[in-house]
Amino acid sequence: MKKIILTFAATLLFGFAMAQNAKIPENITLKTLDGKTVESSIIQNDGKPIIISFWATWCKPCNRELNAIKEVYDEWREETGVKLVAISIDDARSASRVKPHVDGNEWEYEVYLDQNQEFKRAMNVINVPHTFLINGKGEIVWQHTSYVDGSEEELFELVRKLANGEEI
Amino acid sequence: MIKQRSNLRTPFVLCVAILACFSTPTFAQGILGGHVTGNIQLDGQISRRDTIIGSNDVPEKLLTNARADILYTNGDFSAGLRYEAYLNPMLGFNNQYKGQGIANYFVSYKTQDFAITAGHYYEQFGNGLTLRAYEDRYLGLDNALFGLNVMYRPWKGVTFKGLIGRQRVYWGMGEGIVRGLDGELNLNEIVKPWEESRTRITLGGSFVSKYEDDETILSEISGYKLNLPKNIGAGSVRLDLSHGGFGLQAEYALKGQDPNIMNNYIYRTGQALWLSASYSQKGLSANIQAKRVDNMGFKSVRSQTGEMLYINYIPAITKQHTYAFLSMYPYATQSAGEMGLQGDFMYKFKKETLLGGKYGTDLHINASLIRGLDSTIVGGRGTEGYTSTFFGTGDLYYGDLSIELAKKLSNKLKLTTTYGYVAFNPIVEGHAGDIHHNHVVIGDLTWKINKKNVIRFEAEWMGSDSHYDADIDDKRCGDWIMGLVEYNFTSAWFVSLSDQYAYHDGIGNYYNISVGYTKGATRLQLGYGKQREGIICIGGVCRQVPASNGLTFSLTTSF
Amino acid sequence: MKKAILSILAISALVFSSCDRIENENRLIFSGAVGEWYDGSPVEDHTHRALLEKYTGVRCVNCPNADIEISNALQHFGHSLIAVSIHDSCTFTRPYEGDPDMRTPDGNELSHFFGVFNGDYPNALVSRTKKTTGEWDLFTPTAGVDSHVEPIVNAPATIALDVTAQAVDNDGNITIKASIEFLESCSDTLALTLFVMEDGIIASQLSKEGKINGYVHNHILRDIITDWQGTEIKADGNAGECRYAIFQYKIDTTLWNPENCHIVAFVSNKNTMLVLNAAECSIE
Repeated sequence: MKKIILTFAATLLFGFAMAQNAKIPENITLKTLDGKTVESSIIQNDGKPIIISFWATWCKPCNRELNAIKEVYDEWREETGVKLVAISIDDARSASRVKPHVDGNEWEYEVYLDQNQEFKRAMNVINVPHTFLINGKGEIVWQHTSYVDGSEEELFELVRKLANGEEI
Repeated sequence: MIKQRSNLRTPFVLCVAILACFSTPTFAQGILGGHVTGNIQLDGQISRRDTIIGSNDVPEKLLTNARADILYTNGDFSAGLRYEAYLNPMLGFNNQYKGQGIANYFVSYKTQDFAITAGHYYEQFGNGLTLRAYEDRYLGLDNALFGLNVMYRPWKGVTFKGLIGRQRVYWGMGEGIVRGLDGELNLNEIVKPWEESRTRITLGGSFVSKYEDDETILSEISGYKLNLPKNIGAGSVRLDLSHGGFGLQAEYALKGQDPNIMNNYIYRTGQALWLSASYSQKGLSANIQAKRVDNMGFKSVRSQTGEMLYINYIPAITKQHTYAFLSMYPYATQSAGEMGLQGDFMYKFKKETLLGGKYGTDLHINASLIRGLDSTIVGGRGTEGYTSTFFGTGDLYYGDLSIELAKKLSNKLKLTTTYGYVAFNPIVEGHAGDIHHNHVVIGDLTWKINKKNVIRFEAEWMGSDSHYDADIDDKRCGDWIMGLVEYNFTSAWFVSLSDQYAYHDGIGNYYNISVGYTKGATRLQLGYGKQREGIICIGGVCRQVPASNGLTFSLTTSF
Repeated sequence: MKKAILSILAISALVFSSCDRIENENRLIFSGAVGEWYDGSPVEDHTHRALLEKYTGVRCVNCPNADIEISNALQHFGHSLIAVSIHDSCTFTRPYEGDPDMRTPDGNELSHFFGVFNGDYPNALVSRTKKTTGEWDLFTPTAGVDSHVEPIVNAPATIALDVTAQAVDNDGNITIKASIEFLESCSDTLALTLFVMEDGIIASQLSKEGKINGYVHNHILRDIITDWQGTEIKADGNAGECRYAIFQYKIDTTLWNPENCHIVAFVSNKNTMLVLNAAECSIE
């Protein structure tokens, strides 16, 4: 038993080293705001960077982050072609409030519901907000948890690098 | 009725072996490719005695909860396992968690139209009124199903799900077998001419059945035991309709006879109705929700009390408040019976208008009212239990109103002010007493000094008509004030200081200092201070947390 | 594709049918064994009660006088005295035309056993005591009930007895729980007897003044749930020992009014028949 675990741990650690730049999982079921079932493979941006932000209606920092990015989103898109995909982890208690919340806040993001939190688990998100940066190949190149006012500027620096083809 | 965990071991070894196969040299050579990702969380606590807040010494000195999820994905295939350790469980977590081991493992194959998972899995049908297997690590709640879960999409817009399994309870497994079927039709994808319609309609239905062996539950009549149903079914139908900014969602569920410890073994059937209507456009949204729940607690083990082994989930429709005083009295669904109504309104005053000012102003109003059912008791165990009228209401359980104004004052300052009112009947926490009425005022100011330095101030006041009474010992009573200062240096560092103080008719002084460091997806947080005993609720499920006084730390990382 | 739909429908049907519904009348299952004795908890009430068995008949002219004497005694002793009226099948007990029949085969057995049958009516026996000569202490209960009851209720009980009865449904099914506690050690074999009683039976009654129509008959023995000699109490007989047993019975709702029925229980010496304690209860 112990041997198995040890081998397993060792191979995992080894695997880990090899497993940099994991891709976003493709076949996770998500829902659009109008109730349509889609696969996570829908998250595409023609080879341009993608920001994936896990949030919830009740999460204050998440809302601050998405509201702050809203102010500069047009500029970001123009400059780098980046796209923000907001994944709501609201459960049945507040899921029906996601669409009104998005509209009420005038967010122009692509928003999906992850009520069963399947995508959240697949992406190893523990707490929200949790933000991922995806390169043109669909690989996760950077991630960050928590939000502080102003840190969206750090995020954009990275987007810019990515759009210029630099390594992060 | 809980099996020991020893029978978890054999599949575990098998699972480790399978995973090991996939991650041995072949993986490194890239033949199989694939990725290993995961996350780790470690929480710890040192608590000391404090007679005023009611915390006790911890004999172990240090309590820790730890878990690690490891996920392997390779194309359509994935497998994962989770290690959990509670050495010993932190305050508020059930002591039956004591121990460590592999708590969750699965293998899964998933394509666009077909998916199969064997092992532990999480699932939700509709809004969860009939089935929701989920976990919440902060509540110490995990009702993962262990068995088989299949999804199949015969055509575009048609999804079927089927599952069978038993539920996790701490380190064991509930005796009851859960079987479920769910179908969902997206009419716009099925009916060609409706493809581009602005009206979107999704219909769904589910059926869940539970099997549990007979056991001896005595009747109130001596010499008799109950003739228990062994198969208990619950079904629901649902609708999700939207047209532009309008949205309507509804689900109605019925449950067969399910005498269990939560309803005192009555044979009344259960039902739940949940409705949500909303309208939204840019800068404006309104949402109304209504709910009626009647004897809808559904567990896979009939004699299980507490928060574990629920098969279904009945969402609370009250707003999940985040400010300390507004969330002091959290509300959880009374699955035995309740009627609720909730309204939510958001409006953005435009820039350069009277109320909008230079940057615009956000207004957010939310109100909810929950009452008991108008029910008449007709008997005890083994009877119908009670009757109720559909539209009648009983005692007030909970009511709240919150009005929030968020305003950017300048490029550097942002102010949020909130007024809140909460009426709370202690009966929902299972004890008698007067209804508490509280008024809350909150000011929340964020000052962005420059790109790297941000300070946030929060001041809260709560006035209450409740008084602290040593017999009832509800430490939330009385009038309170609170102050909080949080300093952030870039997104990496933060320090926060806070104090909650009962200045009138109450007892307690809860101070806290926290320091946090975040780098990428790794976060370390240290806290020192006093934690109030109370109830933590997430998504309508609550957990009692005892008072603590001392040091806490938390480390989370994802890779 | 059709096959897929059909199989899904079939599975749905299967799952739907796997939902049990249990109608009101089938919800309770008798879980004890009738007459089986189990360890119980202490009996709170240690009252020593006397059992008065009165042999009576509707055509017995002196019997109404006995009813007056007994009802006075019941008032005097309160719950310490339990009265039972027994109709055997002698000539005095033959019912009048159209009246309910209060005769019972068990009453007949008792009447024969205690040597009442075809003798004097009314006749009575308190707690089945014997005279010093060894004969049953039978007496005419038109007077002197108090002097027979007093010595019994004044002596402390050697065994405490409690009886409860509950209706299981509306068809007359009831369960009876009898609990005993040995207050003193007892090496004799004991028996428990359970009577089903009915009050308020309207039937003509002969009196010295002639036939009284619409006479109200109370505490009438309707049936004996146990054997008429009682069922043996399985116990060691040590002081402090507590035992209970559960019995099932179906009240004949076509002939009797279940709302007026109650239960009388008593513990007696299996050999001497002496009643050690008695109790009664209504049916909840």
